[in-house]
This record gives sequence, structure tokens and C-alpha cells, in this order.
Amino acid sequence: MGLDRRSFVALVAGGVVGSLATPVVWKTLDDISIWSQNWPWIPRLRYGEESLVPSLCKLGEGAYGVQVKLVAGHPVAAYGNPEHPLSLGGICPLGAASVQLLYSPARVKNPKKRVNGAFVDISWDEAEALLAEQLKAAGAEVALVSGDDTGTAAEVLAGLVAALGSQESYFMPSEGAAAAAAVGLLGGDGLVGYDVEGANFLLLLGADALGSSGTMLRNAKAVAAGREQGVRVVAVGPVLTATAAVADAWVPCKPGTEGMVAMALASLIVESRPDGKVPGLADFRKQVAAFAPDKVAAATGVPVETLRSLAKELLSASKPLVVPGTAAGQGMAVSDAAAALAVNVLLDRVNVPGGVMLLPWGPKVVAAAPDQKTMLARDVLGYLAKVAAGTTSAPKVLLVHGANPAYALPDLKTAQAALAKAGFVVALSSFMDETAAMAHLILPDSLTYERYDDAYTPYGSGQANYTVAAPILKQPLFATKAAADVALSVAARLGKELGFASFEEVLKAKAEALGADFETAATGSVWLGSEFVPQKLSLAKVPAPGAPHGSETTVVAVAQPKIGSTKIATPPFGTNGISPRELQGKDMVVAMNKTTAAKLGVRAGDAVTLSGAGGECRARVRVFEGVVDGAVMAPMGLGHTAWDAFSRGKGANVFQILSAQADVGGASRFATSPVGVRKA
Amino acid sequence: MQQMEFKVKWGMVIDLDKCTGCGACSVACRAENNIPPMVDASNKLRTTDWMNIYELNNGKAFPHFEVAYLPRPCMQCGKPSCSTVCPVVATTKDEEGGIVSQVYPRCIGCRYCMAACPYHARYFNWFDPVWPEGMEKTLTPYVSARPRGVVEKCTFCHHRYNAAKEQARQNGTDPLDLPEDAYIPACVEACPSGAMVFGNLNNPEHRVSKLAATKYAFRLLVRLGTDPQVYYYSKRDWVRQLGDNYLQKELKGGEHV
Repeated sequence: MGLDRRSFVALVAGGVVGSLATPVVWKTLDDISIWSQNWPWIPRLRYGEESLVPSLCKLGEGAYGVQVKLVAGHPVAAYGNPEHPLSLGGICPLGAASVQLLYSPARVKNPKKRVNGAFVDISWDEAEALLAEQLKAAGAEVALVSGDDTGTAAEVLAGLVAALGSQESYFMPSEGAAAAAAVGLLGGDGLVGYDVEGANFLLLLGADALGSSGTMLRNAKAVAAGREQGVRVVAVGPVLTATAAVADAWVPCKPGTEGMVAMALASLIVESRPDGKVPGLADFRKQVAAFAPDKVAAATGVPVETLRSLAKELLSASKPLVVPGTAAGQGMAVSDAAAALAVNVLLDRVNVPGGVMLLPWGPKVVAAAPDQKTMLARDVLGYLAKVAAGTTSAPKVLLVHGANPAYALPDLKTAQAALAKAGFVVALSSFMDETAAMAHLILPDSLTYERYDDAYTPYGSGQANYTVAAPILKQPLFATKAAADVALSVAARLGKELGFASFEEVLKAKAEALGADFETAATGSVWLGSEFVPQKLSLAKVPAPGAPHGSETTVVAVAQPKIGSTKIATPPFGTNGISPRELQGKDMVVAMNKTTAAKLGVRAGDAVTLSGAGGECRARVRVFEGVVDGAVMAPMGLGHTAWDAFSRGKGANVFQILSAQADVGGASRFATSPVGVRKA
Repeated sequence: MQQMEFKVKWGMVIDLDKCTGCGACSVACRAENNIPPMVDASNKLRTTDWMNIYELNNGKAFPHFEVAYLPRPCMQCGKPSCSTVCPVVATTKDEEGGIVSQVYPRCIGCRYCMAACPYHARYFNWFDPVWPEGMEKTLTPYVSARPRGVVEKCTFCHHRYNAAKEQARQNGTDPLDLPEDAYIPACVEACPSGAMVFGNLNNPEHRVSKLAATKYAFRLLVRLGTDPQVYYYSKRDWVRQLGDNYLQKELKGGEHV
């Protein structure tokens, strides 16, 4: 029997149909699809029991509670903490990227000392012995710069420095310090907070309160909730910040004139309330006479009608609140903060619901340390400038903790020169930041998730609060150690006992001093204080606020947590958040409006050189109408030279062109500063 | 095209009058869904951002200028353009809840779906994913890492939906009638501005369906007939008008069907 054509076709067709009816083909296809994507270099997931543990995020300028998701004991993600008054469930872009930062390529994984210009790995014992030896040789010529102005770790380090006989302990500049200094000028005393939840008219004089300033997460939540109740938000400032973008109105003013706007409003309020009984009002009347709306309208760029309508709103609102600040989240003039506070005082908005809250200073537990008020009042910029100029002797040992002064200070070259003059720079830094890169010794600090940490009443809090974070990981991932524990151990080596054996004990004492229960606090329960410091504020000595810069163009630095902070460069999980509005290729993008661009003879996309008093940097022009005439808006957080590939060599560091200008009482402002723009 | 009807239709309303463009949603999404970090993300051509944030403006000159930030997840369209063009059934809209699926092992990387999606919500893995040494230990157990050659997109954190349904079954309640906030994606959870609301659009009790029904709600490019399940909300006329390609003379804008 032969195979004819017809039966051959039938056989083939039958075979195909038959094989399709079996699972073989489909199973094979399925296997191919799975296994062709299942390569050994694609990481596998790890499964296990899941839990949420509370902790703290202190990567930005403030501090707030987070929850960390653990899977089989390993942290995998950070979420906001609905139970924490400063998070209320929200998280910032740095907090959201915080777990992955544990494995950042920029982490310093063990102590290092500089030998002939290069870093050499050393043991902790050797590192601490070296530090003790250097401190012994330095005597009292020791200084500290810390960026942790809410934590007790800074108190321990300042305690060590004080025990060695030095008073040169400083915090990095902050809005909180400027606001507290302003309270002092008006005869008051305390940490400054704002009851944002209770206010129904929020006038933000420069403060990017929902974007980068103060307790921004809580502020944003409060404003979002308040919107439905008719809360109004007006943002005054030279640039359309994140806050101004969602405010009911943006009132543009020339850079650095927010204080003058406050004084103009004060003059209108004083005028409408001739029988006011505020202490010092007579003197204040004389002071504000020079700031009548018609006198400052031209200087501030805010029309007289706008000033009048703002004053009217302040007077008619039942719970108005004026919050000073800058788009940079730092570098605010104390005099501007004082002017804003004066408006709040005139409206009787201090220590009342929805007003400015003056909160008790944090208790001191390390006997040798300076208290929080003293530390916050000290001026790091002035100190470093004097060291650089040689009018103050350079410290033989400079401890840098949780801060990056070689990157994040105005007049950067001066700050760097001062650091270079210090005999022996010790970086207590978790990352290879610019300061660590130029240090003589790096004692890597563990990250918050690996150690104890705490935060007392970050700037802007509506009431005193204290958060303790217990370590999430049983031990640090790398050979790192909590800076405070290093300080305690080195103090013991020098025979300068600080009274505590471990940082945990210090925090226990702190909790006790506040009347909080340490055990409950360490499990994430936030201690809340209800005390407000009674104040007798007087307007007799309100200083004249900062004046316009008088330059043709002014740079306005804008902080955005998505790019980074003064402490943290863009984390690996943050690079995608940086848009072409901030970075194009390797160039920082600066924004100016059409009028300014035309005046400067530049067009969108042009490469320009920006020159400030202290240096120059390169940028590309973006034409953006959300900038006042004559201002150049520049993103902060770019231009890192150390760290890792995720942040290094991207754009320019705006601190290179920011310069500090003298303000009242030896303080300075630097959020905006004169800049020259020319085509590159 | 026939549209499947679902008892449960998950949806989102994003209030553009509240969004500050901070980017927390985008980072939270990246961590939750195991999207690898990118060393250089300034060139947006080959980056992956399931939640991308755009800046809108009213086109006016200073000082009348205004901006709004628009976070863009996958729109989970009622009539998806992507699933209809997929040759290998890697993306479908066939599950109760109305979330457009993305089955990575099935995807052959042809990218027809990317060309079809009018919202640019889909991303192609041009490279194998790389985490810096050790960082792969922070991968969540929810979404497998995708290799080179695969398209991916936002899934409204579908694993969280599964978890919420599982929880409901354990509690003895109806997994198809989840209470408000029993299931929310990572982006909504992270948002500090209260701009994002998530829930069942078919449940009149959920805030999301109330907000979507207001005259201030609008959707992107509705004229294409995609029937998105992501709504935006703004009281500003110019923002709503940017939601679709309106002609100069069409002054209303932002109307949804």
C-alpha cells in the first residue's frame, strides 16, 4: 500500500492538530518563555515573614517618623508613619529611598586614615586610638561641625569637645536657628514652631513650607486637609516653588525682600489698629514708617494694592499665620524672620492655636556639653571665615558629624580653605561625601536603621516632640559605628568621662529628662509635649529687614528633596526624579523669565557661566516664567565631586556662587545672592 | 471593541491643585516594584518610571504664570490600546478589578503596546537590571526582576490587591467588596500632599467615585475612547483644558464621558 498525496497531507495535518491537542507544545512554549528570562544574573526575590518597624528619617533638613518594611528580617522599603505627627503617613523622596541607601556605593564601609594622600583601611581600635592621640596632642584646639541639630548625638560630640576645653562646637546653618535668633531679638526664648493645622490663612513669606522647609510633610497634609475647610495659602517669594505652585496665590517679590514685605504689612496693620497695646509698639511705629507700602513697592516688586489686600486678609482672618523662610530652606536672614514674627505679634498670633508656637529647648543630659540654645546661636560661617582669614587659629582637630561643610556652605571656597587649614579633619560620615574625601580620618557613622537615633522637636513642629529610633538591624551592615558611641569611647580613652557608657544610655537619660518612657519611645511611640514657653515679646527692637541685593541679577537657590539635601547627595533611587528642568546631560539648568533672558542676551538652551562673589559655575538656560524679573533660579543638590556615580559630576554646586551677606547681630543670609550671567 | 464590565473597578483621582511634584510617589513606586536604580537618568529616552511626573503650565508670561504637576501612572484604560495589539497575550484586561495586567514571562519585547499607548505609560527594558552590590537584598518580595527585552508598566501595585483580597478572605469578608483604603498602591500611600485618592470607582461610597463625578474631574485624552480609570482633578480651567487636545475655541475643556 503506497502513501498517496492525499493521505500524506491528512497525516501531516492530523499530526499537527493532534500535537496541538496535547499539552506538550504549550508547556514547551511556556517553559521557553519563563526560562528565556530566568538568567542567573537576574536577582531572585527573597520571601519570608513581613513586619513593619518604626524608625526615623533624618536625611533631609528636618526629621520625621517612618516605618520600615522587613521581610525575613531584612529591610526592603520605607513608608511614611501614620502614627508620627510629622509624617502623618507621608514620606519624602529621600525617605522613600532610604532603605536602598544602606547599600549605597558611596557608603564608607570601615574606618580609613589618609596615608600619603590615599585612604588606607584601618581597624576601629586603631582609628579610635589615632583620634585619641590627635585629640590629646591638640589640647583645647578642637572644633566640631554637626548637621544633626535635632539629635542627641551632636550633644555627645559637643560634650567631648567641651570636655577638652573648647567652645568651638557648631551646627550647620538652618532656618530653625535663624527663626530662634529672631525670637531672641524680640525678647523671647524658645524653639520655633507653627501650628499649621490650626491656621486658616497661611502667609508664607518665602518659605517653601510644603516642599522643603520645616515640617514639610505635616504641613502638606495639614494644608490638603484644610483646603476643604476653606484654608487659604498665599506664597510670597521670588520663584514659583512647589508650595507656590499649589498655593491659592503666588505673590512674586524681588529676591531677599520678603522681610520688607513683612514690614510693609506690619505698617498697614499698625495703621489700622491705632489703639494697639503690643509692648514696644511706639518704637516699632517709627521703624515701620520707613516701610510704608508706597515706599517699598518698587524695591520689593509687590504692588501697593497687593500689599493692602494681603494686610486686609491678615486682619480679617480669624487665625492668620505668617511663616518666614526661603526657597533654599536655609540662609534666611534673621532680620526677615524677625519682621515676620513682628507681624505675628501684632496680630497676637504667638502661642495661640494656629499661631507661632515657642517651644521649650531640648533638655541637656551630657553635663559637659553646651545646651541646645547656645549651640544653635553659634555661627559656623563666621567661625570658618575667621579660620580661613587667619584671624582665629585653625583647630588642630576638626570633627565633622552628619554634615558636609566642604559642599554645603556659602562662600564655599572660604569654607574649604578653613577645612584645609585644620590640622586633622575627622569625618564622622556614613558616606564618602566631599568632606570625608578631604578628611584625614574617616570614622564611618552607622545609618539610623543600624543604630539608635533620636530627634527632638524639629523646626516648625506645632508642639514639642521627641522620637527615638531603635536599631532595625541587629548589627550594622558594615564595620561602622554610631558617632556618639565613638565619642563616648574616645572620651573614655582620654580619661574625660562624659558620664555614659553608651549612646543608648544617653537617650534613656534624655527620655527621662523629658518625662518620656524610653521603652515605649523606642518602640515608636512619640512623646509629645504640651508646654509652651510663656513669652513677653516686644517690638521695640525689631531690626530693619534685609534689603534688595542691588545687583542686576540674583541667584535664588531652590532646595528639592528629590535631588538631595545638604547632608545627602542624590540617592541611587533618586536619579529618575531629576528632570530636564534641573539637569540636562552634565549641565545644571537654571531658570529665568523671558524678560531677564532678553536683558542678559541669552536664549533657552544656551550654556552660561554664573559668577558669584566666591566662584563660578556652568549652567544651561531654561526660560521659565515662574521667576521674578532679574532672578536666576538654580536647583540645589547637584555638582557633587565625591559620593558615587549616581550623583558625581552631575551639574554644578550652587553653593559655589552663593555668598553670605551680613545681617543683624553677626548673622548672615545666603539663600539668594548677587550673580553675574554671561554666555559660556 | 467590546469592553469588559467589572463589578470592581479600581481607580485613582489625583488632585493637581494639591500635588507639589515632590517625587515621593515615584521613588516609593520604584522601591515597591523593584525597578532598578539608574546611574544616568537625565536622558529620559531609556529610563523607566512607572510613575512619571510632568510639569504643566498655563502658558502665560510672568507674573500671571502658573504651573501644575501631573503624576502619570498607567491609566488602566477601560478600553486599553495596548492589550489589543499584544501578539502574545502578555497584557490583558480580564480580571475583576479592571487592572491591565502585564505578564513579564510572556512578553516578547515587540513593543507594539508602547507604540499603541497614548500615555507613554509603558517602558522597555533596554538593559538587564543592575543593582549596586548588595542593594539587590532590598528587593521586595512582590514583583520579580524583569530582564532585558521585556516591557513593563504600573499595575496599581496589583500584589497589594491580592494581599488585600487574601486578608478579606481570612477575615471572612467579601474580597470583592473591600473597604476604602484596604488596598492602596505604594504611590498613594507615600503621597505627603494628600493629592492622590484611590478606591473602587464602582462603589459610590468610595471617595474616589465621588471625586470622579465632580465637574472638576477630568481624564487624559478621553477623546481617543480609551476610558481611563485614572482621573485628575483641578479647579483651574487651564489645567483641565490641557487634559485633551482641545481646539482654541473650545473653552470648556476637561469634560469627561
